[in-house]
Amino acid sequence: MYILNKCLVHSCRNLALSTFDDEGKITDEQNYCLDHIPDPGKAKEQIYTYIRTHDVIVGLNTAGITFAGIDLTNKRFYGCNFQHCTFTNLHSEGLRSRMSMFDFTTFCDCTLLNCNMQFTSFGGSTFSHTLFTGSDMVQNNFNGVQSFQSSFDDSDLYNSRFIRAKLVNTSFRNCNIKKTIFLDCTQENVSFKMSNTREAVFDRKGSALAQGLD
Amino acid sequence: MKIYFHLNLGGFSNCYVVANESIKEAIIIDPGRITEEIIDTIENGSYKLTGVFITHNHGSHVHGLKTLRKIYTPKIYAADWEVAGNDTNVITGDGKVRIAGLSVRYMALPGHTADSMVYKIGTVLFTGDAISAGKIGTTNNSYSDFILRNNIERKIFSQQDGTVLMPGHGPPTCVGVEKLYNLDMVRTADKNAAPIEPLPDE
Repeated sequence: MYILNKCLVHSCRNLALSTFDDEGKITDEQNYCLDHIPDPGKAKEQIYTYIRTHDVIVGLNTAGITFAGIDLTNKRFYGCNFQHCTFTNLHSEGLRSRMSMFDFTTFCDCTLLNCNMQFTSFGGSTFSHTLFTGSDMVQNNFNGVQSFQSSFDDSDLYNSRFIRAKLVNTSFRNCNIKKTIFLDCTQENVSFKMSNTREAVFDRKGSALAQGLD
Repeated sequence: MKIYFHLNLGGFSNCYVVANESIKEAIIIDPGRITEEIIDTIENGSYKLTGVFITHNHGSHVHGLKTLRKIYTPKIYAADWEVAGNDTNVITGDGKVRIAGLSVRYMALPGHTADSMVYKIGTVLFTGDAISAGKIGTTNNSYSDFILRNNIERKIFSQQDGTVLMPGHGPPTCVGVEKLYNLDMVRTADKNAAPIEPLPDE
């Protein structure tokens, strides 16, 4: 878990991709990042195959890879690293993730319905036309996300953080946003209809409920 | 290395069990409250609990220690002697402890409390209340606040951007995200920036 090896190129600060042994299991060998690996096509193929053939995935590092049109239905990710990845046309239902890192990732035209992603970080990510409808997203980090035409409807966002996020045409209808922090957020056409906004934190004073305001 | 996360519902603090699967030994960071789930994690994995690391001596991070010491006999590492009296291995400044086959680097990061410590195992930093996703720890006065910001800048922001931060409260994050979006640190950076010269009148 979290085998965050640096790229073998001394001056490079990118994270190295996961390596696999002959049986297809993840090893903690040193490797190159996507920019410096001699055969990026082979490395990507190994990672795609690993995801396709395993339902429970622990400690996979795919930093910087593009995933197009993959189906992650019922996959389970534990302690995986998807920093700086790009997901397009991703479809998944019942995806489960714990302690995984999706920082600075781009999600474009993705559907993640009824997911259970807890203690996961999406810091600095971009969501465009992405649906997280009906998901359990407790204690997640959405700080600095940019969300366009996306939906978190019917989701549980308890204790998550959207600090310095940019939310455009994004809906949080019927969500549990208790203890969710929206400090320094830029909002444009954002809907919180049917959500418990009194329990969320929108400014430094804290939640309306804690202040005893009507 | 395997990290198990537990949310302590009492103080909403995070407790982490870090296990070394190859030698079947484990350590615990911030046992806020010991639940059946944590005991199951240790017992089902057949781990020998060899160490407990405390980030700072606040109730929601140490309350479970009493229960833990009734069951196991781990070495206790903290910067405050009062955590477990004479059984505490008091650590100060920066250094390294080799335990459970893991190399645990510790760094003193006072500010939130005088005894605040940050632990680094592999490329994961356990930051306690010094810094959490988007915010820094609370302080009692402006001097502590200055010290905390200074220490975060020197000891945490100097790490690789992909370094994972596991805080004492709230969701996980990474150094790169905190550098860009931490509300308190970005404001400090703005404050320290050179004042913008007004444009000369045309």
